[in-house]
Amino acid sequence: MNPREPMPTEPALEYLDATRSRDGRLVLAGVSLVIEPGALVALLGANGAGKSTLLAMAAGVLAPEAGSVRVFGRDPLRAARDLRCRVGWLPDPVPLYPELRVREQLAASARLRGLAAGAATRAAEAAIDRVGLAALANRLCGQLSRGESQRVGIAQAIAHGPELLLLDEPSAGLDPMQQARLADLLAGLRGAMTIVHATHHLIEAAIADRIVILDRGRIARDAARAELPDAEAIGHALVTVALAPAAEAA
Amino acid sequence: MSTVLAVARLELARQFASLSGWGLLAVLAALHAWWFLAGLDGWIELADRLAARPDAPGIGDLVVAPFLAGVGSSLLVAAPLVAMRAIAGEVRARSLPWLLASSGSDGAVVVGKWLAASSMLALVVAIAIGMTLTLAAGTGLDLARIAVSALGLVLLAAALAALAVLASAWVRQSPAAAMLALALGVLLWIADAQARARGETEGLIQWIAIPGHLQPFLRGVIDTSAIAYFALFTVTCLVLATWRVAAIRSEG
Repeated sequence: MNPREPMPTEPALEYLDATRSRDGRLVLAGVSLVIEPGALVALLGANGAGKSTLLAMAAGVLAPEAGSVRVFGRDPLRAARDLRCRVGWLPDPVPLYPELRVREQLAASARLRGLAAGAATRAAEAAIDRVGLAALANRLCGQLSRGESQRVGIAQAIAHGPELLLLDEPSAGLDPMQQARLADLLAGLRGAMTIVHATHHLIEAAIADRIVILDRGRIARDAARAELPDAEAIGHALVTVALAPAAEAA
Repeated sequence: MSTVLAVARLELARQFASLSGWGLLAVLAALHAWWFLAGLDGWIELADRLAARPDAPGIGDLVVAPFLAGVGSSLLVAAPLVAMRAIAGEVRARSLPWLLASSGSDGAVVVGKWLAASSMLALVVAIAIGMTLTLAAGTGLDLARIAVSALGLVLLAAALAALAVLASAWVRQSPAAAMLALALGVLLWIADAQARARGETEGLIQWIAIPGHLQPFLRGVIDTSAIAYFALFTVTCLVLATWRVAAIRSEG
């Protein structure tokens, strides 16, 4: 079997009672979530709700203190070397080296993810075209604006052709036009890869097939697109989740 | 191995994309050229008197060996400067988790960073060796001895680079990492100074100290116990650095 082909019966990403704390504070409290291949999932929630921690676990950086995480049926920490070419991750902040030019950065990233030198160069050029970075390709990463860095970060995450794309606030720093282009890009990638993106932008979240709202390390709402069809409905759900503890206390 | 090379290539690209890498190479080359020419000047002044003595030491003993010993000691300063940001810089820029996830291995990142730093230092050694080889145009040189000296210096460079990467993994500020690596390197360089002054040549402190392991190479002797020392030193530092990086990653 080609190792890059996911088994059709296997979830792309699976959390089972995943628990993690940081500095004595519970960041994730027994999160269970199954994401099927090809899905486009938006993670929403206030700052500190646990979105970035969920993504970092799937990226193979953090281990759950209890419970488990599986990426294509495998432990992302133990199988990190095998999974690195199948997973793309845009963390926050965007990891760019200021001394490198954009195309050097993208090629280096693709090489790290396991592509051979020639293939990495071609992959970098393809990512530059796909994300519309031609005008920035020879600029130093250290000279980019926040929005430009974010776009290079997205190109970096997709350059090696991952099957699972993890985006942590990809629209941070983007102007409305760039946000619209990002939404188009994500919509264009739909089906070609599984996408999980953490965001605060309701319009960006509205293109997802599934919306997961986290609140203080727990899943407060897990809804299909039909249940929350537009930004207004998502916003209402977010406010309801945010107000729920206060209402319970009252 | 391809991941290690990818990390090393990225690190070298970063070094040479900035002025700091070229600047460090230029400063070291200039410093070494000055030492070399000063040594050569001294030898030319003595040449007539040395020619009258049948048992006089040659240019290899009077110019090349002291010069290469000086190059070795300059690596004590160069290694921390080359490798100080290897891990500390990634931690400070918050790019270490991405690098670890991209490479899929803590060890590959550490070894790749070490390989890049060692390559930079090997280039410094190669430039210095090139200076000594220019003497072949006017005098007979013991090329085998120079080759063995180069081997010793490269082993020393690899060990000091590993020490600097370890310091960089342990301390979160690059300048502090450089200071720590320099302090540890100097300590290991002078550890046996008192014992040497007393004429003692064997003991634990002499085995720990670095200079005693470099000297045989500068005399043209391939000392397997010295090779084992440098290999053990390097591997120990890299294992500790990998362990530290894993700890940083698991802290989140």
